[in-house]
Amino acid sequence: MELTLTGVRTRLGGRWVVDGIDATPPPGRLTGLLGPNGAGKTTLLRLVAGLLVPEGGAVLVDAGADPGAAATAPVPVHDLPRRARARRIALLEQESSSTVPLSVHDVVALGRIPYRTAWGADPDPAAVTRALEHARAAHLADRAWSSLSGGERQRVHVARALAQEPELLLLDEPTNHLDVSTQLSLLAFVRDLGTTTVAALHDLNLAAAFCEHVLVLSGGRLAAAGHPRDVLRPALLSEVYGVDCDVLTHPRTGRPVIAFAEPASDPAPTAPAPPTDGAPA
Amino acid sequence: MDRAPRRPPLTVLLAVGGALLVATVLVTVTIGPADLAVADVGHSIGAHLRIPGARPVPVLLDAIVWELRLPRVLTAAAVGAGLALAGAVMQSLTRNPLADPYLLGLSSGASLGAVAVLVVGVGLLLPVAAFAGALAALAATLALARTGGVLTPGRAVLAGLAVSQLAAAGTSFVIFWTATGDSYREILSWLMGSLAGATWSSAWIAGGALAVVGVVLVLSALRLDAFAFGDTSAAALGIDVGRTRWTLMTLVALLTGAMVAVSGAIGFVGLVLPHAVSVVTGPAHRRLLPVAALTGAVFLVWADTLARTVFDPRELPVGIITALIGVPVFAVLLRRGRGVAWS
Repeated sequence: MELTLTGVRTRLGGRWVVDGIDATPPPGRLTGLLGPNGAGKTTLLRLVAGLLVPEGGAVLVDAGADPGAAATAPVPVHDLPRRARARRIALLEQESSSTVPLSVHDVVALGRIPYRTAWGADPDPAAVTRALEHARAAHLADRAWSSLSGGERQRVHVARALAQEPELLLLDEPTNHLDVSTQLSLLAFVRDLGTTTVAALHDLNLAAAFCEHVLVLSGGRLAAAGHPRDVLRPALLSEVYGVDCDVLTHPRTGRPVIAFAEPASDPAPTAPAPPTDGAPA
Repeated sequence: MDRAPRRPPLTVLLAVGGALLVATVLVTVTIGPADLAVADVGHSIGAHLRIPGARPVPVLLDAIVWELRLPRVLTAAAVGAGLALAGAVMQSLTRNPLADPYLLGLSSGASLGAVAVLVVGVGLLLPVAAFAGALAALAATLALARTGGVLTPGRAVLAGLAVSQLAAAGTSFVIFWTATGDSYREILSWLMGSLAGATWSSAWIAGGALAVVGVVLVLSALRLDAFAFGDTSAAALGIDVGRTRWTLMTLVALLTGAMVAVSGAIGFVGLVLPHAVSVVTGPAHRRLLPVAALTGAVFLVWADTLARTVFDPRELPVGIITALIGVPVFAVLLRRGRGVAWS
């Protein structure tokens, strides 16, 4: 999906949480959305998902395969009808829990809601199974949602998003609470989907290893954008995150690897660098 | 409960539930001080509905069936169905497994209206006063929840609690100040929920509200499913979260108000039955809602039959029976590990 952000800004509780973002994530690729806590990543994802209406600027998407649209002029995402939007854009939230005793199949079937008729019939009954198989979660289909591990849950959430058959996939910290091998396989999977994807990430080394493009937010503004190799430099990371670091080159992939130094005086721990000796699949 | 259980098809569940409900109505009408046969009941109903082949039954017997027991049984069925439906929808809308139809202060408001009639002698029909009380409580709850902030289910629940407490205090005050022995028993029976006063008009009020609101709720099943992972997730699935929640909550409140108006606040049906039914149907509302309604109907008819016969000639408020059955069922559900998802 062609996605363009022009001067997007919005307030939450009186503060400009997102303050004038211009960006063009590359279509069909994985874009990392970086920035410290409170930089506006989650709010920006909600704006891109069309769940919040920006107070200024616009999130523009291509008109899509809408037969009524002869012109290909981009449209603001919040002007798309809700159901049509939900068929094109899927959002995975950071914290997603349920009190409902659902099976895995039930959870993935939620992704079909934008396609269902008023009586609940799915025009494509095989879509859930397809999404489960695509996300390599078919073996979990009959399991109770509450019995899954964190990694399995995230895999099922991805299957639910795939069941929406989105052209744009938005992920809010998808690797949170996952072990390192699950983090690597999840991001590799998402990268290889060929779907335009924007993922908020905390782990700079994961972003450096998997993203084609990164957007670095700081205080609601865009501090930098571009290929990780060009963007993730010590000076920028020092300015945005306030950390002292060196950027090395991965011996096998050639991607940047960020090595953090201990903070001089601040006793608060910095994010530890995950092992980088395993080449991403 | 590691593996999700296999679930029977909806058509089977509806057929079994429907047959059970018809049998329940025919059988429970025969139960009571005057001995009747199911055939008599069938013929009496058949004659009134002008079904060909129905043979006339003696006038006295016909009056017992048609004027006394049938309206009460049908009211119980409609109220049970409505409460189970309202509870299931409320639990999904607030994402709170402990939600019940009375969550927004409705039962306390209705009680205050009813007590005003029973004790103070306000010149209104009791169901009208109860319904007005329920609506006033709903309006107060929504107004309070709306002040100075976004409407969230959490705020609505807290506002409902406050309104509930206020109305309960009002009710207690009125009783304390004015009630005498006889009116006290009448009030108590109303507060515990009772179908003793059910007439054909009660049956029409409860049945009508159920038919109108029930259809809308069942048609909203998919939108309710979308709330499983919360508001943002529902919005991302194309649901207008705000409008859906408040429309459906208001409809549930109107349905509940109609039920409370004819029967008082019968507890546990709306809280426990949706959980029990979802063990069989699974959580999809397209399956859960109609089956919960049928189960609620059958359950409350039997509970009311017990209430009016166990200590014959004295009647127990049916709310005591539903609590006596509801609490152990709730305990069993907790033991079965459905509490895992409730943590």
